[in-house]
Amino acid sequence: MGLVAIATSKILSSFSVFLFLSILLLAVARRISTNVLLFGVQSAVITAEVFATGFQEKLAEIYVVAAMVFVIKVMLIPRAFFVLTKKLKTVHDVKASTTPTQSVFIVAFLIYLSYAAVQSYGQEVRVPEDGLAAAVALILTGAFLMVSRRKALMQMLGLLVMENGIFLAALLTTFGMPLVIEIGIFFDILVGLLLMGIFTFRIRDTFDHLDVSKLRRLRG
Amino acid sequence: MGNSQLQIGMANIAFRSLLVGLGIVVPLLLMANRAKRMRRIVAALIAVCSLAAAMAGATALFQHTAIRIELSVVTPFPFVLTLDQLSAFFLLLIGSAATPVAIFSASYFELHYSDQLRNWIWGFVSLFLLSMIVVVTASTIFAFLFAWELMTLVSAGLVLMEGDSPERSHNVFIYLLMMHAGAAAVAASFFLFLPFSHTQDFEGIRFSLATVPLGTRTAIFVLAFAGFGVKAGIIPLHLWLPRAHPIAPSPVSALMSGIMLKTAVYGLVRFAFDFLGGGPWWSGYVVLLIAAVTALLGILYAIAEHDLKRLLAYSSVENIGIIFLGLGTSLIFAAHHNFVGAALALTAALMHAFNHALFKSLLFLGAGAVSHATHTLDLNQLGGLQRRMPATGLAMLVGCCSIAGLPLFNGFISEWLTFRSFVAGSTVLNTKTQVILPLMVGILAMIGGLAAACFVKVFGVGFLGRPRSAGAEHAEEAPFAMRASLSLLAAACVCVGIFPGILLRPLGLVIGGLIPAAGLPADIVSFTRIIPWTAAIVLGIAGMAVLLSGGKRIARTWACGLPGLTSRMQYSSTGFSKPIRFVFARVYRPERKVERLPADQPYFPVSVSYSSVRTTSWERAIYRPFVDLFISIAYQLRRLQTGNIQVYLLYIFLALVCLLTFVRFER
Amino acid sequence: MKLVINLLQALMLILGAPLVRGVISRVKARLQRRRGASIWRPYSDLFKLLRKEDLVPPTSSVVFRIAPALLLGATACVAAFVPVVWPIGLLASRGDLFLLVYFLAFGRFFLSLGAFDGGSAFGGMGASREALVSSLAETPFLLALTAIAILASHADISGMIGWTLQQSFFNISTVHILAFTSLAMVVLAETGRMPIDNPTTHLELTMIHEAMVLEYSGPSLALIEAASAVKLHAMLALLIGLFMPWGMASSYSGGELGLAFIFYAAKVAGLIFVLALIESGVAKLRMYLVPDFLGVASALSALAVIFTMLVKR
Repeated sequence: MGLVAIATSKILSSFSVFLFLSILLLAVARRISTNVLLFGVQSAVITAEVFATGFQEKLAEIYVVAAMVFVIKVMLIPRAFFVLTKKLKTVHDVKASTTPTQSVFIVAFLIYLSYAAVQSYGQEVRVPEDGLAAAVALILTGAFLMVSRRKALMQMLGLLVMENGIFLAALLTTFGMPLVIEIGIFFDILVGLLLMGIFTFRIRDTFDHLDVSKLRRLRG
Repeated sequence: MGNSQLQIGMANIAFRSLLVGLGIVVPLLLMANRAKRMRRIVAALIAVCSLAAAMAGATALFQHTAIRIELSVVTPFPFVLTLDQLSAFFLLLIGSAATPVAIFSASYFELHYSDQLRNWIWGFVSLFLLSMIVVVTASTIFAFLFAWELMTLVSAGLVLMEGDSPERSHNVFIYLLMMHAGAAAVAASFFLFLPFSHTQDFEGIRFSLATVPLGTRTAIFVLAFAGFGVKAGIIPLHLWLPRAHPIAPSPVSALMSGIMLKTAVYGLVRFAFDFLGGGPWWSGYVVLLIAAVTALLGILYAIAEHDLKRLLAYSSVENIGIIFLGLGTSLIFAAHHNFVGAALALTAALMHAFNHALFKSLLFLGAGAVSHATHTLDLNQLGGLQRRMPATGLAMLVGCCSIAGLPLFNGFISEWLTFRSFVAGSTVLNTKTQVILPLMVGILAMIGGLAAACFVKVFGVGFLGRPRSAGAEHAEEAPFAMRASLSLLAAACVCVGIFPGILLRPLGLVIGGLIPAAGLPADIVSFTRIIPWTAAIVLGIAGMAVLLSGGKRIARTWACGLPGLTSRMQYSSTGFSKPIRFVFARVYRPERKVERLPADQPYFPVSVSYSSVRTTSWERAIYRPFVDLFISIAYQLRRLQTGNIQVYLLYIFLALVCLLTFVRFER
Repeated sequence: MKLVINLLQALMLILGAPLVRGVISRVKARLQRRRGASIWRPYSDLFKLLRKEDLVPPTSSVVFRIAPALLLGATACVAAFVPVVWPIGLLASRGDLFLLVYFLAFGRFFLSLGAFDGGSAFGGMGASREALVSSLAETPFLLALTAIAILASHADISGMIGWTLQQSFFNISTVHILAFTSLAMVVLAETGRMPIDNPTTHLELTMIHEAMVLEYSGPSLALIEAASAVKLHAMLALLIGLFMPWGMASSYSGGELGLAFIFYAAKVAGLIFVLALIESGVAKLRMYLVPDFLGVASALSALAVIFTMLVKR
């Protein structure tokens, strides 16, 4: 059991690095499939972190949450994305409006910003600074992805990354939310994805492309 | 070092005699006789005087008492020359770089100028050297400013002697304009001291620092930085550099790029460290930022150039940026009271100044030899010169390796010291500094990489492969004097590169006088002892490999089955730099034009021409609006000149009325 | 005694380099379902080249002839900096990371000049592309090494390795992971491996390093091939030493050194396998996508440097 304890504590203290790596790679990935894969890896890291928290706090609820995260975010959602991409017969390229070099420097700056933001009230809340900074960085990166990627599918992915961040932040600050709330959140996500999937089809059927920068009729 | 009194005496005599020699003897000799023999004597005299300057500088460096020469009897304002340690170091710099230049000029001026010009040129060169020496040794405001202006005027005269076509005159005009603006800023910063020091003497200025309020100190620093910055060529004040340096005669370009820019560095060090004791707390960051931009843009513009002297001019901008990186870092350390770091960074900056004087002079003199042999300086027309001019080529190779910052050559040592001072920034307790200084390692790394690429291009396109024009094909080895001076400089570069202690020990004494710190950190000193061993390893293995390899057979390069390779199939300078220009396209923004003739038959062209013109974006963005603003103001002011005499009388009347009201209200 | 061991380390790096190359080719072949050549093949290649005649173009100068020797000399000097089984390399306790990086630049400078001297178009092309890649790769290289140096408070290689040895393996540090990723990308760029450059290509327009050595033959080519093998081995040893040095001997007893050697061999084998996987799995990047690749490496290493400040606080 000692080995598991060591592994858990190591995971808890250093998982944020892998989250940073995943968002830096998300900034440069050019194909939708790579982006979805990175999202899957990110969710897997978060699952591990949830498991480790569950092991430390010794609450059974958290194991259930971890299982839900794994099933939904690591298995179901990426699978859904792959199916959607194949059905839409869309081109693989993400069509970013910033070059990969610019994107990666922006994300690096966002990581630094999240550290600076967390530092100011890291002393008051007894929260691991790295983890909270990773959560804020995930939120900011999700927003950046939504802004700079022009395919509708990437908007969905950006939202999912943001949700990962919010979930992580909630987990770290409250050491596990009540199970009911977790289930509610997941349901929200699933319904939202379903709606977005339907709309993506409608957009493609109406306009014959998925480039959101060309959808400019959102005026009064 | 030996008998101190003797050393001081020797330095004193050397210094005084070189002043007399350059200032009085040389002009007299030149006016007396126009024979070639007289010019040989003059050349030898100038070379000896430069050598004397170097020796005086070297001996005075090790003394703690300064040598003082009073010349105020002949001048309206106090005129005193003092040789303290900082001045001695720069005197050594001037002497070391000027001696080979003088030797080179002995044959260059004979071959390139008409009879009546030759004497004038030698006279002006002597005066130029004298003015630079006076600048670094002056210790009153009048002496400094006098010599400063004299430097500018004499160098402008030297440039005009090469020819005064409208384009050249325009460039010289811009040069004079910017230099005068800079001199005005320097003068203003000096004069701001006067109400507090009550004396023009530098000693008095130094002692009065405590009485100067903070606002004035900031103003002094800003004005001094701007004034010396124009002279040094930092961006965006660098516009005169690529206009003035390429059109001067090659030895004069060497003097201007190698030495004159360093006088600006001297001025800034004197102000920032000696007079002000470190600028305001933000000064280091501003200098660092400007220096980084200068160095990066300088090397990017240099890579895109194919005129050899313009490329070297932009490369000087880059190296000045590197020197200022060291200066800025030193200011940051001083502001945080980390004196060890400040000493390290200042050592890096001053050592780079010295190294740059050596290898830039070498490169410009080499360019002069190349232009003498091939009558062109366009890299796209050169090639194959190493086989035709072996000694010149070898010296240029040493120069290119030094400026690229390769180990075993002197450029590496100063860049390495700059890197180490950046890394030392992580020990400062301020979080901003802890992040910014190490990140500067990345920027200097890219600058170094680009510099290496640029000089691979210079040597590879210019000296290797096949000649690309008739001029390059018929090149002959340079005359003996040119070769000797080039070899001297190359040997100096290699010596300082392998045995950096030669320069670091005296430099430690100079810095010790400016910044109260214990010497350099121990690991830096131990590092410098390892370089000769690495040289032994590299040269040993390379030597073994060369010796053990057998004979070589000459065989033609495979031409993919074509009849043969021509020189046009080689990469040109423009082609070599294309990938880098493409990646950094935002910096360059050229205006491109492709023309196909005849226009109505696009698929059967008789000729296709491509032209790409680069105006540096600074001219467009910053200078044009300024210039337009001034011109429009001037146009508006013209309205005052109506030509009507009654209006002029009205002006006089109004002036009287204003004066009376002013007197009335002052009561 | 110390001197002998340090000398042996440097010799191990130099003489074992063709073996590393051979193993990489063999593993790649196996991954691609071929049988592959013997792992000792590069040695026989070198001996064959050394016995052949050296041909020089008629327009070349002395630079063409001495460039390979200088390249080998500089790379051998780099090998003297990197420790293998014993944390103190031949020069590693005094020479610091900047000297290492700039000796690599020294070798590259002369190789590019030799390429120009061949007088063909491909030499200039190789030199031009190499100039682009190397000038952009310097930034992440030096920044990543600086980040580790700041953490270790030492700028010499031995100091950095000694500090890492004292850290526990399980303390995964953000700085180290970022620096490792960035440095791995730089190693791919510097040694001319996929996805930057294909070392086995025969199409000139896809070459970077190979284009520069097209005109060389016989012993000169042997020197160049040896130098590039030594460079690869030294970079791998640097990666191992900086990020996974545990297992290095702490005293110079024969048993400890032998054990350290076995550990080192295992780590190199692991890195070789990963390298072969990457080379077989990724396509070569288009030339103008390489700046993006190196830009990512620069951002990672800049972030590593920023994190050192956060860690030290």
